[in-house]
Amino acid sequence: MSALEIRDVRKNYGSVETLKGIDIALESGEFLVLLGSSGCGKSTLLNIIAGLAEATSGDIKIGGRSVLGVHPKNRDIAMVFQSYALYPNLTVHRNIGFGLEMRKVAAAERDEAVREAARLLQIENLLDRKPGQLSGGQRQRVAIGRALVRKPQVFLFDEPLSNLDAKLRLEMRTELKRLHEMLQTTVVYVTHDQIEAMTLATRIAVMRDGRIEQLGTPQEIYNHPATLYVAGFVGAPAMNMLEAVVEGGKLAIAGAEARLELPGHYANAARNGAKVVAGIRPEALRLGSGSGTELSLPVEIDVVELTGPEQVTTARVGTQRLTATLPPQVRVAKGGRCAFAFDVEALRLFDPATGKAF
Amino acid sequence: MSGTWMTTRAWLLMLPLLVIMVAVIGWPLVDTVRLSFTDAQLVGTAGNYVGFDNYTNMLTSSNFSRTLVTTTWFAVVSVAAEMVIGVLAALLLNQEFRGRAVLRGLMILPWALPTVVNATLWRLIYNPEYGALNAALTQLHIIGDYRSWLGEPGTALAALIVADCWKNFPLVALIALAALQAVPRDITAAALVDGAGPFNRFRFVILPYLAGPLMVALVLRTIEAFKVFDIIWVMTRGGPANSTRSLSILVYQEAFSFQRAGSGASLALIVTLLVTVLAVAYAALVRKTAGSAA
Repeated sequence: MSALEIRDVRKNYGSVETLKGIDIALESGEFLVLLGSSGCGKSTLLNIIAGLAEATSGDIKIGGRSVLGVHPKNRDIAMVFQSYALYPNLTVHRNIGFGLEMRKVAAAERDEAVREAARLLQIENLLDRKPGQLSGGQRQRVAIGRALVRKPQVFLFDEPLSNLDAKLRLEMRTELKRLHEMLQTTVVYVTHDQIEAMTLATRIAVMRDGRIEQLGTPQEIYNHPATLYVAGFVGAPAMNMLEAVVEGGKLAIAGAEARLELPGHYANAARNGAKVVAGIRPEALRLGSGSGTELSLPVEIDVVELTGPEQVTTARVGTQRLTATLPPQVRVAKGGRCAFAFDVEALRLFDPATGKAF
Repeated sequence: MSGTWMTTRAWLLMLPLLVIMVAVIGWPLVDTVRLSFTDAQLVGTAGNYVGFDNYTNMLTSSNFSRTLVTTTWFAVVSVAAEMVIGVLAALLLNQEFRGRAVLRGLMILPWALPTVVNATLWRLIYNPEYGALNAALTQLHIIGDYRSWLGEPGTALAALIVADCWKNFPLVALIALAALQAVPRDITAAALVDGAGPFNRFRFVILPYLAGPLMVALVLRTIEAFKVFDIIWVMTRGGPANSTRSLSILVYQEAFSFQRAGSGASLALIVTLLVTVLAVAYAALVRKTAGSAA
């Protein structure tokens, strides 16, 4: 039985279709990240799961029970909000225990549960404070504590780290990962941050315009993006997209002399004369002319940006651009001519007409 | 430009206003204080110095104590009712429903009407011969015969309080409605997920955001209710049998109807002092509320 099952969920606001048929089944203990840019419908979907918005059609099951029309408090979920949403006039202790207090759990039992959650989140020393006296990171810990203490079937997180500064965000991300590995809870987590998605998720649903563009493990999403959109959205710097044409078993890069050997597994997919988009991750490129199973492209270096751990190098292949992340010790300079090599397995081909991977 | 010149220029620019304020507020106030220590009449003699006689006479008169009780009763009941009705109206108008914008606009009307118009309308409603209230209550068989709501000491003050509430609850509602807009959607959603019912959501989520603004409304309304004059003057002139006489009406009667300027001035100053004490106490309360909400 799935912990959470979303079946053909649609949501219309007037004539605007915000969700266009979402299907996801989540096993117990999974960490699903809904990833997408703003307006893709990910928060709407989360609100529908929570019961804060109603689906126009479709079904949501939590623990095998349909929760359509069920009040949020009776759905066996807990939610953590972007703005923390703490009750400003209650102490941290009461904030965390609020859900239990409303459910008339006895004071002693409640206190024990609150202290247990506070211990897990290392905020035991803050229990008597009010939210106004806490830092952003501490507030978010309290908000997570409020969700933990209820021990629900499904945890819902709505961009919980976006209000934190970069350093704190990293810390809390690790904290969330630690908590999930320890408690093995089922989580649905909304974010537009692909690093959060990659690091936290057991599965990612990349959303776009109210649809799921791809649902898969972080490795699948990163290594085998199903569409050009996913390929461009996940990864920084973004995947290189070179326009090319299939010519006699080779890929002719548009606007350049370069020809690439068409990998064997694509031989039947793309017919002769077909226009394709060749996708190569910047991290897959290295300086060199290639050997063995490697392919290579002659380039002219355009811009070199040292970020510290790597050099983000933008080069030209004929009229097209190619970005590579090279180790900092590699010597490259603007105007220099060289070649970028990459493993044939790193090459992805997409149909520019449909945007789908071959 | 030197700082001295800036300061001089600032004072020069404020000078006309200062002159006007001294002329229309400062001087009359000082003269009222002077008058309150004399037995001056409104017309005729300038009056002789009588020390604190006016004050002791006023504070010990049964008229004053009775009027103070009436005024306090009027202020407490009408302001309390306005706060409750105002908040309820704001909560209602904060819901999403068709025609909400129209209803929000309509709600302001009683408050936007001049008090005299409002008072005249309520006098018509309470009219003992053809008033709408009498008609409605007899048709509903709640009362047998038409009654003179404003003519009986037992009902006149209550009838006034209703009229005052009707006029002033929109101000409270407006302030509360503005405060409700500031309640973060996420906190309301969190409370829903946490299982808080409507009462607990109001108590733990909404009230903390309402407390500060409501305190301001409470201060404004109490001070106004305490010095109420116009609505009572138009509807009952303080009658019947002085049952609706407020402190401001007592001041008016003393100074103008009985033409005792000296004793009227002392009473006016007593009322001013009472209202000032109220204002200071409330200001402290507002600071405390604002401090605890942050």
